[in-house]
Amino acid sequence: MTHAAGWRERVGDTSLLWGLVGVVAILSVLPLARLLLEGIAPNGFFSSAALTRVLASPTTWIATRHSLVTAFGGTIVAVAIGAVVAALVALTDIRGRKPFVFCFVLPLMIAPQVVALAWLQLFGPSSTLLKMIGLAPAMGSPNPLYSAQGIIALLGIQYAPLVFLTLRAGLRTLPRELVEAGLAAGATPFTVVRTIVLPLMTPPLVAGIALCFVSCLGNFGIPAFLGIPGNYLVLPTLIYQRLAGLGPSVLSEVAVLSVLIGVIAVVGILLQDSMLKRRDFRLMSASDFMRPFELARWRLPVEIALWTLTIAVLVLPLCALLLTSLVSTIGVPLTVATATLANYDYVLFEHAAAKRAFVNSFGLSATAAVVILLIAVPLAYFLAWRRSPLLRALNLTAEMPYALPGVVLAIAAILVFLKPLPLLGISLYNTIWIILFCYIARFLVLGLRPVLSGYYQLDRTLEEAAQITGARLLRRLRTIIFPLVAPMATAGALLIFLTAFNELTVSALLWSSGAETLGVVVFSFQQGGDSTYAAALATLTVAVTIALMVATMFTTGKLAQGILPWRG
Amino acid sequence: MITVSRRIFIAMAVLATAVTLPSAIAQAPKGKLVLYTSQPERDATQTASAFKQAYPGVEVEVFRSGTTEVMAKLAAEFSAGQPKADVLLIADAASMESLKKDDRLLAYPEAKVTGFEPGTYDPEKTYFGSKLITTGIAVNSGAKTRPKSWADLAKAENRGQIAMPSPLYSGAAAIMLGTMTARNDLGWGFFEKLKAADAVAVRGNGAVLTAVASGEKPYGVLVDFMAFNAKAKGSPIEFIFPAEGVPAVTEPVAMLKTAQNAAAARAFVDFILSDEGQKLALSMGYIPAKAGVGSPSWLPAGTKINLMPTDIAKVVQTNSANLKRFADLFGN
Repeated sequence: MTHAAGWRERVGDTSLLWGLVGVVAILSVLPLARLLLEGIAPNGFFSSAALTRVLASPTTWIATRHSLVTAFGGTIVAVAIGAVVAALVALTDIRGRKPFVFCFVLPLMIAPQVVALAWLQLFGPSSTLLKMIGLAPAMGSPNPLYSAQGIIALLGIQYAPLVFLTLRAGLRTLPRELVEAGLAAGATPFTVVRTIVLPLMTPPLVAGIALCFVSCLGNFGIPAFLGIPGNYLVLPTLIYQRLAGLGPSVLSEVAVLSVLIGVIAVVGILLQDSMLKRRDFRLMSASDFMRPFELARWRLPVEIALWTLTIAVLVLPLCALLLTSLVSTIGVPLTVATATLANYDYVLFEHAAAKRAFVNSFGLSATAAVVILLIAVPLAYFLAWRRSPLLRALNLTAEMPYALPGVVLAIAAILVFLKPLPLLGISLYNTIWIILFCYIARFLVLGLRPVLSGYYQLDRTLEEAAQITGARLLRRLRTIIFPLVAPMATAGALLIFLTAFNELTVSALLWSSGAETLGVVVFSFQQGGDSTYAAALATLTVAVTIALMVATMFTTGKLAQGILPWRG
Repeated sequence: MITVSRRIFIAMAVLATAVTLPSAIAQAPKGKLVLYTSQPERDATQTASAFKQAYPGVEVEVFRSGTTEVMAKLAAEFSAGQPKADVLLIADAASMESLKKDDRLLAYPEAKVTGFEPGTYDPEKTYFGSKLITTGIAVNSGAKTRPKSWADLAKAENRGQIAMPSPLYSGAAAIMLGTMTARNDLGWGFFEKLKAADAVAVRGNGAVLTAVASGEKPYGVLVDFMAFNAKAKGSPIEFIFPAEGVPAVTEPVAMLKTAQNAAAARAFVDFILSDEGQKLALSMGYIPAKAGVGSPSWLPAGTKINLMPTDIAKVVQTNSANLKRFADLFGN
């Protein structure tokens, strides 16, 4: 009897596990394998024609060079800003840390295309803001952001919070004894930072750099808004332009380009791994938080500098965006008399695609969040509590669609879904479902990581007690485990929702009429020259994003600490 | 008693409705109509809602992008075997011709073309020009000079000050390229001079408008109605018809053979060609294709526009070579 029950239990477990393996394989292995296959065997026949054509084209290498230049440049800017701010916030006694962290991390949660649009409104002869204060540059002077430097600067600003977050997490584990030993031995705080803190912080710093590099490399929104008008193409925008302008006849060629950008990203990740493997960075655990360095008379100047930085990178561009959304048409100076809400009226009530986009983006983000949690909670159960080589491989596999640039997944998904599905006979291409598929695949890890960390903090005894009384796995998951990891899962779901809500890279390549996302509509407005509509819609998405983030600040306790990057 | 009389009243009302309603409305098109267009957002929205007023049973779904991208989207759908579009309203006849060559367009022999000049529609009635859109020179009101001709525009003194729509995105620009390069007075030399003057090819006419109106590029190559509409809204912009003449497109409307809602697609073509549809185009600042509907306020009645003749068949033939050469020249 017990034997039979145990057997049934094991069958149930195993089939759930293999079901999850199947889901991850379809989300991750299938598209990426299909993409690699297209690179060597376009349309199913081994041929190097597409490969040679792409590799022989100078455009490919120009775009690759641009991609590397902007990714390295953006990373350097992000590390410079992120590291300094992390050190000041984590190691010193500055005041108002919570609101500052919220504002500093905010650009990371705002869509890159909106960041780009906002900054564009801040410079150049057309800037509504500069015109109001009489500082607009002369006619015919180019907007300085339409350049490699512009792209690098904005990538740096967008991803500085990434470096900040990884580094701050590392600084929190800094052993107090070492620092205090250094100080007691007479070293200046600066020497302590240079000789003790910095070497110990190598792992988070390197991880932050790698993360930042891969994010810059895969970013589409910023080079699309700043690079396409000035004809400075990087790999993601080259792929987009080819596919949007020439259609699926160039699918094999863009597949090669996608593999190329994927390879660059993988090289970046592997470099990080090998750098960290060469040395042992293990720290003694269980030490107290370090006492913050006292800045004394420097405290106020440092605080002023930090807030000035925040105002410059966050408040000014968003103000410029807001002002542009209030003019009737580009070129008209904004005064109390000319200010109008007509652009909002148009995007909210008249423009059918913008209205649809709200519904689509909300629906896609919410559905993706729910589906991902349904996958992540049982998957994390196995990953956390049943270790095996298969599960380690599964974890890595689930990470891939997120680690690789978004265009790679989008092109892979087109390859898988262009032809009608076997048995069903329908093609998912040109439907909203292909976007949902990509969102689930790409953001799975955003839900998986927090849930996994939730499991590691759990005491397993409750679940074991339930198991002894005969509750099956699915029942235990539902009644015991899910309630316990719910705070983590909710935080993960929020993160997924906000990321998907602001997404453009994937949907720019996959949208169709009726399946527009908010990112796509903002992008189309800007491309069509309707900057004022673009600004109005972008302002609305920023408002929704900030409102959701602020709402989480007031639900302390219900949501897990340490998952939502903008919270303490 | 009361119930009986009410029933009789309802029966009579139903009978009366059935008698008075013309049969045309009884078979009014309904369902969803998918329109692919290169019209600017605002105009596409207005066209769709005016059509919906005329045919309340039909819901219009609009896909809008540059003509080249609309064509690419169609190509993608053809290869997936699921074309979604029912009806097209795109910039130029050359794109329509290439679709016709691939046997994608559905002829509509019963289309009401009275009042339209024979040159504006396909003799085989697969596509129908809906308006006349010319491309001229737009200038920011604050700019130093007013170029009188295309040759003036491409002068070295305007270096770094010129924006033009890319033919790789805009259908009107592709026709402009095909028309101008075939002429002796302009030819490829004109585009080489533009390049030498550091002109930038931005994506579409909308982007040119933004650049000129904002003063980022004080001079631009732009379609007429966009300049005049922006000017009417208060933008600091002027439009010039250059001395050599202006290339023009007809923004044709066409049905796809694969249309899922052919009845609504026919209704859409009817609507665009009807007096009502033509007046709508007029109210949006376009020159309607149908003679006698009127001319927009920016074009005084009786004004003769010096149109550059375009050999559509030749443009269809040379288009891809032209685009490639343009892309190499401007690095698009």
